[in-house]
Amino acid sequence: MTEPRSADRLPAPDGEPVVRMTGVVRVHGEGTGAVHALRGVSLDVAAGELVAVMGPSGSGKSTLLNLAGGLDRPTEGSVRLEGRELRDLSPEQLAELRRRSAGYVFQDLNLVPSLTVAENVALPRELDGVRTAKARREALAVLKEVGLADLGDRFPDDLSGGQRQRAAIARALVGERRLLLADEPTGALDTRAGDEIIQVLRQRADAGVAVLLVTHEPRYAAWADRVVFLKDGQIADSAAAGTETAR
Amino acid sequence: MSVRHGLLALLRRGPRYGYQLRAEFEASTATTWPLNIGQVYTTLSRLERDGLVSRDEQGDRDEQGRVRYAITPDGRDELDRWFARPVSRADRPRDELVIKLAMAVTTPGVDVAAVIRAQRSATMRGLQELTRALRTLDASTEAAQRLVVDSMIFHAEAEQRWLDHCEAVLARPSEENP
Repeated sequence: MTEPRSADRLPAPDGEPVVRMTGVVRVHGEGTGAVHALRGVSLDVAAGELVAVMGPSGSGKSTLLNLAGGLDRPTEGSVRLEGRELRDLSPEQLAELRRRSAGYVFQDLNLVPSLTVAENVALPRELDGVRTAKARREALAVLKEVGLADLGDRFPDDLSGGQRQRAAIARALVGERRLLLADEPTGALDTRAGDEIIQVLRQRADAGVAVLLVTHEPRYAAWADRVVFLKDGQIADSAAAGTETAR
Repeated sequence: MSVRHGLLALLRRGPRYGYQLRAEFEASTATTWPLNIGQVYTTLSRLERDGLVSRDEQGDRDEQGRVRYAITPDGRDELDRWFARPVSRADRPRDELVIKLAMAVTTPGVDVAAVIRAQRSATMRGLQELTRALRTLDASTEAAQRLVVDSMIFHAEAEQRWLDHCEAVLARPSEENP
């Protein structure tokens, strides 16, 4: 919990995306009961890029997200996170890389109800061994970035659904993590709050974060630089926004 | 919908020159419905023939001698009836995509899944462009323009969902096609 930070964090080689998945296969189970969740998926997500993943239930969307963030390991193929091949890491190294590099936002149940919003956001940093005061400063800074500067001392239950989800995004990004993995983050929200969340994700991507978003809502996917359609564990097709949005 | 009623609605605000009508029509439809000046004058002459607009003869001519048009009492009545009458589905142009997919399903040798995939990518690119257009509208943008873009976004979204639905239905093994 007290090991040095940043010094041991290898910078990604020049031009390498934050996440690079190559020929990724993931099979759950064995023999006749084996389920091929992914069948050879290659996907890059660069810093500053928002990539949306769409597809019917069971198409492998959540598996893809879990593999991209190192929560799961591929059966075959390569996953590189910030330039490091996950296959080569020990479980401890993987856990550390995951904590330092990737943040998750789910549909709901993101925050601890008994902690204030700032405490929730500071929690991953404290788990990293950062002192409470510094972790709080970092938490308040990232809360400001998601438009919740004044709500740090409230409890999650005092916030609207949209505000809670913005706090969850702040918690996922605290400590300058460069990869944000969001699994249906707008799923439990009405359209107005959902619009707020997609705008925050877009802003964070524009500020340099790599964002991988799973959604079944075309209107939110349309905010992405690239939309990838998964079907039966494979990328069926993709749509990239016009070149004028290229950075 | 008709350009007719659009022009009547603009004239309801006061007399207008043809070129003004064109600019205002395009502005209020967020330039998604381009109109050429010929269409404007053709429509105005039909409206005049039907007694719904008149040349504003007392009005000033501009330096090029163009006349202004004004709405007549009959024109106002027609406009009121238009606003009061719901748009019927039969008034809308038929959707080429629906016809194309229906034909693709029944025509031998057509890869329907490929038709759906190609369309879905294209529709998503359109939706991405509309979303970008919406993001560039600022707070001062007229509500009318914003609502027009919103409408196109909802439409593209519905098309996207329908394409997903088509894919799911066609993927399901049926009795004839196990």
